[in-house]
Amino acid sequence: MLPGGANVVSKPTTERPEPLPSVRLSELPVGTRAVVERIEGTGDLFRRLLEMGFCNRARVTVVRRAPLGDPVEYSIRGYSVSLRKDEARCVMVVAPARYE
Amino acid sequence: MSGCCESCSLAKDHARADCGTKPSERTRLTVALAGNPNSGKTTVFNALTGLRQKVGNYPGVTVEKKVGLLRLPEGTWANVIDLPGTYSLVSRAPDERVARDVLRGLRADTPAPDVVVAVVDASNLQRNLYLVSQLIEMRAPLVIALNMMDVAERRGSRIDPEVLSRSLGVPVVPVVAHRRLGIHDLVHAIGRARPAELPDWQLPAVMRAEIAGLARALDPAQRNGAPLASFPARAEGEPPERRQERYRAMAERLLVGDGVEDLGLLHSPAAVATLVDSACATLRTAGVDPVQADIEAHYRWIEGISAAHESAHAVANEPAHAAANELARQAGPHERIHAPAHGSVHAPVRRRVHARPRSWSGSPVGERAPLPSVPLTERIDAILIHRVWGLLFFALIMGAMFASMFWLAKPLQEGLTAIIEGAGAAVSGLVPGEALQSLVRDGLFAGVGSVVVFIPQIAILFLFLALLEDSGYLARAAFLMDRLLAKVGLHGKSFIPLLSGFACAIPGIMATRTIEHRKGRLATILVLPFMTCSARLPVYGLLIGTFFASLGALRQAGIMLALYLLGILFAAGAAFFLRRTMLRGMDSGFLLELPTYKVPQLSVVGRQVLGNSSKFLTRAGTTILAICIVLWVISYFPRLPESRAAAQPDANAAAAAQREYSVAGRLGQAIEPGIRPLGFDWKIGVGVIGAFAAREVFVSTMAIVYGTGGDEETVNLATAMLADRHPDGSRIWTPLVAASLLLWFVLAMQCMSTVMVVRQETGGWRWPLFMLGYMNALAYVVCLLFYQIGSRL
Repeated sequence: MLPGGANVVSKPTTERPEPLPSVRLSELPVGTRAVVERIEGTGDLFRRLLEMGFCNRARVTVVRRAPLGDPVEYSIRGYSVSLRKDEARCVMVVAPARYE
Repeated sequence: MSGCCESCSLAKDHARADCGTKPSERTRLTVALAGNPNSGKTTVFNALTGLRQKVGNYPGVTVEKKVGLLRLPEGTWANVIDLPGTYSLVSRAPDERVARDVLRGLRADTPAPDVVVAVVDASNLQRNLYLVSQLIEMRAPLVIALNMMDVAERRGSRIDPEVLSRSLGVPVVPVVAHRRLGIHDLVHAIGRARPAELPDWQLPAVMRAEIAGLARALDPAQRNGAPLASFPARAEGEPPERRQERYRAMAERLLVGDGVEDLGLLHSPAAVATLVDSACATLRTAGVDPVQADIEAHYRWIEGISAAHESAHAVANEPAHAAANELARQAGPHERIHAPAHGSVHAPVRRRVHARPRSWSGSPVGERAPLPSVPLTERIDAILIHRVWGLLFFALIMGAMFASMFWLAKPLQEGLTAIIEGAGAAVSGLVPGEALQSLVRDGLFAGVGSVVVFIPQIAILFLFLALLEDSGYLARAAFLMDRLLAKVGLHGKSFIPLLSGFACAIPGIMATRTIEHRKGRLATILVLPFMTCSARLPVYGLLIGTFFASLGALRQAGIMLALYLLGILFAAGAAFFLRRTMLRGMDSGFLLELPTYKVPQLSVVGRQVLGNSSKFLTRAGTTILAICIVLWVISYFPRLPESRAAAQPDANAAAAAQREYSVAGRLGQAIEPGIRPLGFDWKIGVGVIGAFAAREVFVSTMAIVYGTGGDEETVNLATAMLADRHPDGSRIWTPLVAASLLLWFVLAMQCMSTVMVVRQETGGWRWPLFMLGYMNALAYVVCLLFYQIGSRL
C-alpha cells in the first residue's frame, strides 16, 4: 500500500556490494522507472536530495518534462517532486530489474 | 527557573534561566505544530486556534512567527506555535533553523514547547515520517496528526492509525483538517503526548565506532587533559550510562553536522572540530558518508514502518502513474532503462485513464481497492502542465491576474484617493493658518493617500497568490516558468512577483516570500523595480507625447514598448550579474514539490490577504507617510516673501516661484551641475526630487515648477517645456534630453515607498540602501553616456 521501497530491504552502506554501473536520472526518458543507487555531489543539495527520499534504493519514476524542457517532474515514495536538470544529474540510478 | 522549565522535557540542560515568557504565560502549556510544507499544518493550526492568532516575526530573521491560543479540554489555555513548514530540521535554510531552535528551546523569544504536534500528510507518509524521525530523536513529547486521510483513501492507501501508533509509541490521531474532522480528538490527545521510544537506527558499524570514539574524547571522565565539553547543571550522582549516552548523542550530532548548543557546552570548539574532521575522514575512507548514513538509517526505519502497513495492493497502488506502472509491467521483466516507453512523451498518462477515483466514504477496512485509478491531481496536471494547454491556461491565469491589478484596482484606487482628498480638504478647513492647512491637506492626508493607494493592488495580488498557492497551482506555475528564469539565476517562483512588478513593484516584492531560497528571493527583490511599473506611465506619456509627437502614434507606442523591454532586459541582466557575484550560490536548488490539488479555503485566503495588507500598512505605511511629510516640508519652506509673491502675474506663477524658492527648489539648483551632463536642468532636478515620493509626482511637480498649475492637464505644460530656454537661447528640452530622462526613469530607483517595503521584507537597511545605490548609480552612468554620446553624434 505504501509505495517506493516497500518491497526492498536495504542494508547499511558498508555491507552493500560495490556500486553497479548506473546512469544519471537526468538522462532518463519520460515514463521510465528506476531505482536510486547513490547521490553524487556535496553540500546542501546532497543532503536535501537524501532527505527528500532519494536513498535506500527508492523507486523513482520520470513523470513529465516541463513544456520548456526543464525542470522534470519525478515521482518517488508516493509524492511528486520536480528537479532541474543539473540537480537530477546528481542522482545515479539503475534499472529496477536489478533488485527484483 | 519556573515550573514550566522544570517540567519541559525538551529543556534538557538549559543554562538559560529566562526563556522570555511572561509569568502568566509560563504556566501555560506550549504546543508546537511541526510538519512538512503542504501537509495541511496551517489548516490544523487554524482549526485549533480559530481567530485567536497573531502573526509576527522571529527577531533577527525574516521568518514569520505565528502563535495562537487553544482551549484545552480541562478549560485552561495553551499557546500554539505554528512552526515554519520544513522537510528537515538539520538543513541550513533559515526556516529550518528557526524551527529547530524553537524545538530545542534555543530561542530566547520563544519558550521550548511542552508538546509537539507533528502534522503528517497521510498520502505522502514516508517523506513526512522523516521529519517525525527527527522529532523522535529530539525526544519531543509527540502527538501525530495524520492529516489528509481523505486524499490517502482516494489513492488507495490504507493507513491504520492504531498500527502506526503502536509502531511509534505515540498517539496518532487521524484528521481531515480542511473538513475539521478529528480536531476534537486531536485536542484531547495533546494531554497524552509522550516522547517516542528511540529506535535503533542501525548505523554502519564503522560509524558507530567513530561515534563511540568521539564520545570518549568528549567525556571529561574518560579523557585526560582539559575537558572539551561539559553539560552544565548536571545532577550529582548521575548514573554513568546516562552520562555516556549524553556524550554519545553529542558526538553523533557533531558527526552529521548538526549543532549541539542545546546539549551542552564545547569548551574548545576548534579542538572538537579537528576531532570531528578526522572522524569524518576515517569514515569517508571506509566508504561511509556520515550525513548519508544518518539519513539512510532514518529512512530504513521508515521503510520498516511502511512494510508493517503493506497490503496486497502495495505495488499496484503507486500513486503517481499507475499508468507508468502498467507500461512497465507490459515492457517485460528485463526492463531496459534507455528504451523510451512509447512514442509521444505524454502517451502513458493520457491513454491509461480508466476508473474514476473513489470518494472519501470511509469504506470498511479490508475491502479491496479498485484497480489503479489515476489520481485526480495527475489527471489535472496532464492538462495544466501540458506543453500547449498548460501554457495556454497559465497565460490565461496570469493575464487575469495582471488585468485585475491594472484595471480592477484603478477604480478602487481612484475611489480611495478621492475619499482621502475630500477628508483632507474637510479637515484642513478646520485648522487655523495657511501653513497648517497645507500640512494637513498636502502633507498628512496626501501622505496617507499615497500609502493607501497601494492597498487595492496588494489585496488583489495576494488574493490571486493565496488562491494559487492554496490550490497547489503555484508550484505548477513555477514548474512551467523555471527554464526561463533559471537562465538568469532566478527561480520559477520569481515569475509571478516579477510580473506583478508591471503593475507596481510593492506587491511584487511582498509576493517574493513564496520563494524559499534566500539568495534567489533577494535577487528577485533587487531587480523587481526595473519592471516598468504603472507609475512610470504618466511620465512616459508626457515625455513621449511632447517630444516625439512628430513620429506618429504607432512609433510612439513602439517607444513605449521599447522602454518596457529595456526594463525587462536590465532586470534580467542585473539578476544574472547579482547571482554570479554578490548572491552567488545554489542554496538547496530548485527542488520543488508538486502537491496534490485541493480546493482553496476561503478562511486561509482571507487571512493571507488581510494579513499582508495590514503588514504593509503598519510596517511600510508609517515610514512612507513620514517621507511624504518630509517632502512636503522641503517643498513648502521657506516661504516666498510676500512682496515677491504679489509681483507674480498669477497664482500658477506664484506657485512656481514658491517652488523655486523652497528647499526642494534650491536642492534642484544645487544638483544642477551634477545632472547637466545628463542633459537635465534644475527644474528637472526638482521634478526628479519630487518623484522620490512616487514617480508619477514628477508630472505634477513639473507642472507646478513651470507655472502651469498642479493638475493633470499636460498640454500647457508641454508648451511651457518646449518654450523653455537656456541663458544662451538654446532649447532646454530637446528630444535627446527627453530620451535621457526616459532612460533615467527606466533605471533609477526613485519610489521611496518601494525602498521602505524592501526594508520590511528583508528585515534591515542593508539591502534597500544597496538597491538605492546601485540602481541610481547605474541610471546616472547610463544617462550620462547616452546624453554625452548622443549630443556628439
